[in-house]
Parts: sequence; C-alpha cells; structure tokens
Amino acid sequence: MLQKVFGRQPLGAVFAAPYAVFLVLVFAYPLGLAVWISFHDYFFAAPGAVVERPFVGLANYRTVLGDPDVRRSFVNVAIFLVINVPLTVGLSIVLATALNSVARLRTFLRVSYYVPYVTASVALVAVWLFLFSSGGLVNQVLGPLAPDPSWLVNAGLAMPVIAVFVTWKSLGFFILLYLAALQGVSGDLYDAASVDGASPVRRFWHVTVPGVRSATTLVVILATITGANLFTEPYLLTNGGGPDGASTSPVFVMYQKGIEQGNPDVASAIGVVLVLLVLTISLVNRKLLERD
Amino acid sequence: MRRYLSMTALLVGALVFLFPFYYMVVGSLQESPDTTVRGALPLGGWTLDNYAAINGRVDLVRSLLNSAIFTGGVMLGTVVFGVLAGYALARLHFRGRGTLFAVMLLVQIVPFQLLIIPIYVMVVRYYGLADSYLGMIAPFAINSTAVFIFRQFFLQLPDDLFAAAQLDGASELRILWSIALPLVRPALLTAMLLTFIGPWNEFLWPFLVTKDTELQPLAVTLANYISNIAGRAANPFGAILAGAVVLAAPAVALFVAFQRRFTDLNLGSGVKG
Amino acid sequence: MNRRLVTGTALALTLGLTAACGGGGDAEEARGATGPIKIWLSNNPEEIAWGEQMVEAWNDANPDQEVTAQEIPAGKTSEEVIGAAITAGNAPCLVFNTSPAAVPQFQKQGGLVALDDFEDGAAYVEERSGDLATQYRSPDEKYYQIPWKQNPVMIFYNKALFEKAGIDAENPPLSTYDEFVATSKKLVDAGVSKAAIYPAPTSEFFQSWFDFYPLYAAESGGSQTIEDGTATFDDEAGTAVWDFWAQLYAEGLSPKEKYDGDSFADGVAAMSVVGPWAVKVYGESVDWGVVPVPTSQGTPAEETYTFSDAKNVALYSACDNQETAWEVLKFATSEEQDGQLLELTGQMPIRDDLTGTYPDYFEANPAYETFADQASRTVEVPNVPNSVEIWQEIRDNYSRSVIFGEAPVADSLTAAADKATELAGQE
Repeated sequence: MLQKVFGRQPLGAVFAAPYAVFLVLVFAYPLGLAVWISFHDYFFAAPGAVVERPFVGLANYRTVLGDPDVRRSFVNVAIFLVINVPLTVGLSIVLATALNSVARLRTFLRVSYYVPYVTASVALVAVWLFLFSSGGLVNQVLGPLAPDPSWLVNAGLAMPVIAVFVTWKSLGFFILLYLAALQGVSGDLYDAASVDGASPVRRFWHVTVPGVRSATTLVVILATITGANLFTEPYLLTNGGGPDGASTSPVFVMYQKGIEQGNPDVASAIGVVLVLLVLTISLVNRKLLERD
Repeated sequence: MRRYLSMTALLVGALVFLFPFYYMVVGSLQESPDTTVRGALPLGGWTLDNYAAINGRVDLVRSLLNSAIFTGGVMLGTVVFGVLAGYALARLHFRGRGTLFAVMLLVQIVPFQLLIIPIYVMVVRYYGLADSYLGMIAPFAINSTAVFIFRQFFLQLPDDLFAAAQLDGASELRILWSIALPLVRPALLTAMLLTFIGPWNEFLWPFLVTKDTELQPLAVTLANYISNIAGRAANPFGAILAGAVVLAAPAVALFVAFQRRFTDLNLGSGVKG
Repeated sequence: MNRRLVTGTALALTLGLTAACGGGGDAEEARGATGPIKIWLSNNPEEIAWGEQMVEAWNDANPDQEVTAQEIPAGKTSEEVIGAAITAGNAPCLVFNTSPAAVPQFQKQGGLVALDDFEDGAAYVEERSGDLATQYRSPDEKYYQIPWKQNPVMIFYNKALFEKAGIDAENPPLSTYDEFVATSKKLVDAGVSKAAIYPAPTSEFFQSWFDFYPLYAAESGGSQTIEDGTATFDDEAGTAVWDFWAQLYAEGLSPKEKYDGDSFADGVAAMSVVGPWAVKVYGESVDWGVVPVPTSQGTPAEETYTFSDAKNVALYSACDNQETAWEVLKFATSEEQDGQLLELTGQMPIRDDLTGTYPDYFEANPAYETFADQASRTVEVPNVPNSVEIWQEIRDNYSRSVIFGEAPVADSLTAAADKATELAGQE
C-alpha cells in the first residue's frame, strides 16, 4: 500500500520531504507568483491598499521584446557567455590536471586559485576598479598600449573585462569540481597510455578529457547559468551597465525595471524569457555533451 | 624539464590570481592612493588609519557574529536535509523523484532576483520574519547546488556496494551513514565550501530583510560602509580597500584552514575498491 | 528528462497560481490615533545630529507619544528601501528623506497618506512654503509630501587652482557657455587639474539632476522637464544644454569615467556641481568660490534658476498612530526646528522668505546667503507618473549622445522627450 503511493522505496520520499517542502515554499510559490505577475498589470502595493491588477495577456512580453535596452542586455550576456564559458572550461580542466600532478607547493597553489572564489564580489570589485581605471595600474603598465577610452568605459571592452573578471573569480570552484572528478579517472588508463608511449598532450586529450566528461557537462551548465544570472558586476564594476548600456545584463535590467522603476510585471516577463532561454541552452548542452 | 615548465606556469598563474589580493592589502595600508607601477611596491606611507576609520563607524564584532549565525544556519540546514535529499534522489526509488530532480535543476536556472520580491513579501508579510535570523536564513536554508553535488556523487558510487549492504540487512539510514557518507567526504567538503560562500558573501537578501543594524551581517555592513560612508573618509580609496580586506579576510582564513583537510584525503581508494 | 522538467515547471506554476493577495485595513482607525511612532532619518552625520535633537525635544514634551528614530537602512538608494518597506507593510511613520521623484510611485503603491486628510493639512503646507509648495502637489491636487528642505545646485570653484591657471579667482568668467568652456580649457591646458568639472558620468537615473537639469532650469528660465503632461526639453534650451556638456566631454574637460572619492576635494577637478551642504564639507579644506550655473547668454545671478535637490517628508500608510505622526511632522518643520536644521546642516528649509525668517543666521554665515538667495528660484522634478522611468530614459539618451558621443544630440533629445511624454501619460 505504502509502496503504491510513494513508490518502490517510500523511505526516499521521507528523506526528500523537507527539501521538497522547502522548494515549494521558497521557490515554486514565488516563481508561480512571478509568472502570474508577468501576465498582469502588476505593481507592488501596501498591505490593505485597494488596487486593480487586470490581466493583460502578453502585453508585458511585447513591451519586453520591443525594448531595445532589453534586447541589448541579452546580446551583452551572449557576448559574455561566448568569452566566459570556453575560457572557464579550458582553464579549469588544464589547471586541475596540472594541479593534480604536482607534489610540491600543493596547498599554496590550490589556495591561490581558490581564494578569488571564496571572496565576496563586493570586495574584489573594489580592487578591479582600482586596477582597471584609466589611471590605474594596468594602464600604467601598458603605457601607450592602454586602450582609449579606458577598459571600463570602453563600449567594446567593458563586457570582455567583466567576462574575464567572472572567469577569474569563479575558476576556483570549477577547478575543485574537476579535481574531484579526476580522482575518479582510473590510474590504469594512464598507465596503459604511458606504456603505449602516448605524449602527455595525447594522454590529456584521450584519457583525461573523456574521463571527466560528466564533470564537463556540469561545469558548462553551471557556468552558463551563473553567466545568465550576471548582476553584481555590471551593477558595481561598470556602475550600472555602462558605458552607454554596453554591459547591462538581463538581470540588471530586471532590477532596474522591477525595483528601481516599480514595474515588477515587466521585470517578471524578462525573467521568464531569461529562464526559458537558459533552460533551452542547458538542455541542448546536456544533449550535446552527454551523448555517448 | 617538462615538469619544471608546468610548475613554472602554475606558479605564474598563481601569482596572477593572488596579485589583486596583494594589491588590496597594500592599498588598504597606505596613507594616500598611488596607482603608478611604483605604487605597487610602496616603501613608506604605511598607516592603519583606514582600518581605524572603519572600526569607528561600524560594529565589526557584532556583524561578524551575525554573519556566522546566518552562514551557520544555512550550512546546518544544507548538511542535514540536503544530504538526505541528495541520497534519496540518487539511490532511492520513490514517486515524485523525477519531478523533484527537475525542480531542483530549475532552481539553479531561475535568477534569484526574479523571486526576491515575492519571497520578500512572503517572509516579511505572511510569516512576519523581518529583522530575524530565521528570515535571513529561510530562502537559503537548503542549497540546491549542494544537493545536486551530493546526488552526483552518490550516483557515482558502485551499485555492488549497496547491494552487498542490503543483503546484509542494513537499513537505508545505516547504509547512508556508514557506507555512502564516508565515501563522498570530498563531495561533502566541496558542497560545504560552496554553501559557506553563498550566505557569507550574500548582500541583497539580508540587506532587504534586516532593517536593524544590530542584525546585519558583515557583507551588508561593509557594502553600506563602502557605498555611503567611505566617501567622507580622509582617504576613500584606502577606506574602501580596507573594507574589502575585512570582508575577505575571514572567508579566506577559514578557507585556508579548511582546505588543509581535503587536499590530504585519499579520495580514490574507496571508490575504486 | 524533458518531460519531467515540464512536469516540474507545471507544478511550480500551479502552486504559484494559488497565490492570494492578503490584505485588509484598519486605515480609518489609524488616522486619528496617537501613540508611539517610528521615523527614519537620512544617514549623514549632520542630519542625524539634527534628528536626534528634534526627537529629544519632542519626547521631552510628549512622553506618552514617544518617537524612535533610526537611520534609513542604507542601500544604493533610499527609494528602493522605502519601496520594499511599503510593499511589506513595515514602513515607518515618517521618512525625513523622501525623494520627490519617488513620490508618484509610492503614492500609486498606496504607501502614502495625503496630508489633506488632516484638517489643517494643505493650509499648513502652503503657509510654510508659499508659492514653492505648488510644485509638490500631486496630479490629484493633494499633498503626499511636505516640501522640507532643498540644496539648490550651484557651481563651486577652487580659487587656488584658478589663480594658478591665471584666471581671476574673484570674478571668474563662468557666466556664459563660451566663457565656461574657455575657462575650463585654460584650467586643463595649464595642467592645474585633470578635469575642469567632473559630474558623475554614470547611468543612475538621478545623475541628470546634477548636470542636465540645473542647467536646463537656468537656460529655460525655470521650466520643468515635463509640463502639462508633455516633455518640454526637446527645444532650443534643451539642445543648448546638451551641446554644452557634449563639448566638455568631447574635449576631455570632463572625464567619462567615474571617480571614486571626491574629485573636488582631491583637486582632480577645479569645479564641482554642489548644494549648500558643500560649505560644511569643503569649508576648511578648499578655498572655494561659488557661482550660479551657466547659461548660453549669461543670465544675471539674481535671475538664474536651478534644480532644487529637495528632500521631503512623507507620512506612510503603514503608520498606526497617524495623528501623532502629523503632529511630529508639524513640530519637525516648525520655525524653531527649521532654524536648527539650517544651523546644524546648512541645508535650506523650503520656507517662504528664508532670509527674512533667520536674519541672524545669514548675518553670521554669509557663505550661505548666496544659496539662500538661489533657494527662491528653484525647479523641482515634475510630479508625474513613472517619474523614475522617465529620468532613466533621459539619462540613457544623455549618456549615449552627450557623454559617449555615440549618437547625435538632436536625435537622442527627441527620443528621450517622446518617451518621457508617453510615459507621463500612462497611469
């Protein structure tokens, strides 16, 4: 009887119950509310205030898709992903492999690569601002090669700088994932490859890369998702998506429209579009990377 | 030879990664900002005034304590309920498992900013949890990424291990506790690290939910200091960098201490066994 | 996998749809009630000092209606915090830092109490502020805010740097646009400062209040950006102002990158757009002079308009003891407390005949007299729907054409004005 309702191992339902309740309360319900909001002329009202919130169909979505600022933000985030995701995957797999093989200075090296990840964006952005401002250290070192206008106010460079910042900041986490995955790659395979006289580069391509494939799927999906949710950097590093909107992100525009300008309906519609896009990308990634 | 090459590359990379931190610390100890190349290696002008300036305006100890409570609550919730859920998702067949897994993935995709206002209204208006630790912890109580990691690792464990234990008549809870958990210790540590960072560095949510400075965690206090108060300090750059150091230091210190424990683990043996 | 994601999403949605909006009010009861109340103050040390003495004075006289004051929980802007608090129903009774640009939004949210609901409400506001009060009336002809204090925007200049560049520091040529640009060039060419003037080049919606708007108010002779629901600034005056700033940016006299810190105090810029608060902030460290904002033809100082940069007080509907709140509001804006405000912060209470009311103060502090005089010719942000969105639209277009020179000024100006008119017409 119990098994009919809860499945073969009902204990599983018990184990998962607290998490399921948690998801309903802080995720499903608010998400549903957000979707509901995106189909209505909605604004935040004080408790007790009598307000009308008529159903408006797809009007908010039309507003969103017709808004050049919103379209710009999606293009920006695409630029971001094109730079950030390959850079993240490439660097983290290579660094993890290298870190895995060294015996000396192990702790020092790993800590060096992890610290940006554990540090708050708020703190790191402060230093990058200092480094990349027009009179900052980077330009001082570059001298006449320094870009004009400078990095963070250059429409062509602002988004790449953000992409590099995020790669730098989050690389530690992805290295960690790869390091854990590398422990699962059988040493016999390497031994066999060595006996066959394969070069280290060959071994890397033919043993390591396929060996950590499931981790790669995870890394690509997580990097895409964090990238799509980009907010703190355009908010703090380029002072609100500057210059001239060249570094806005969809989440930043959501924040502007929803919280600053009091249009949560339009903001929710952006959010829903974003979620659908990320969902599609993740499913495609998964299909591509996991086919065997 | 080749080994030296890869070692050198790793060391150079490490220096590139560490340089902004070095620059942050040095800048926070300077009387006035110097962005020239020589300024990166200052010989004089050392001062602790920037830190004194923060300490004079902000109750650092209190904020640190708040951060610890907030972060501790989230970690406790994640390790207890998250491990259970991860295990159930990976190893137990029950109705609704697929749906739960799908929702868990969806959680990672949906930006928190989309949910923040509905959640804010719920937590503050429906549950009356404004200005409380519980209200701060609630939306983060179980970290879904951690659950995902737990599940992936439980999934990787060989089936034979479980079959054998089940044949011996061990209960699921016992299998989880004495067989599965010890094997996924690295995953546990990775997930805990990840869980720690979230609430420790989180700004937007505790900022919205706490209006009372007595309850605000360090990230909020310092972001506030950096954006509103530092501009009036004698050396705003130094004050901002000092704020950054104070925010970064506990996380980095804890991490370094914590890190020692999982580099030494011999992860391979149990799984291969 | 696919199917399950769909199921999961559907489940999430269904649960969400059951969302009901709670509510129910005891607004009538609160209107006449007295008792303890909470207020929020701005977070600069001068205003906190003022607030604390005001609260103490009130509490001494009214121990049964105690006021508790707190700094606004600070974020990037106070408006976000207040908006969120209104939604959650935990806003305080009074906020002594309510931006007029946010009032239409708060009002739409049902977060504000119309002061006209109190018997002496409108009369009190109009008697205290005189003609200036009407700018603060909402489209429904009610006052949802009391015009409290302003920081009329003027130009500060660094006398030492001017002298170094060989410019007459007592009567600097800063009156017309041509003079202003020529002086700026002289400063930068002489190498005395990196920038002539350094307005924040960032894209927050409120930044236009400190570059475009004060100059537009002056150039147009006191026109708001929107009048009778139509944008005014796509005209000769607006074009002149945008062209003026565009020239400063194009010639490198104003940098396009944000400066962290105080450019004027650090000597990075020789001029700055400021309000009377600057007298206290720079009084000791910089040898400063003050002039009104420039206009194309050089309007005489006594006829020049500017932006008010006002901060007001509003009474929030979440308040349980609104009668007390109203009494505190009147107490805090009384002649005596306004005098204290002037004394402690140097900001200008929005009062009729300011200099006549506090003659001793202005005699003792002549530095403020220029600002007090300017305070009688100020323009407020228009009180129209979607105010913040309109300012963001203006800022984005300004940023594109004036700061970064990516689009012709005329096109951007028209685009901003059309959008502003459209938004102002929406409910």
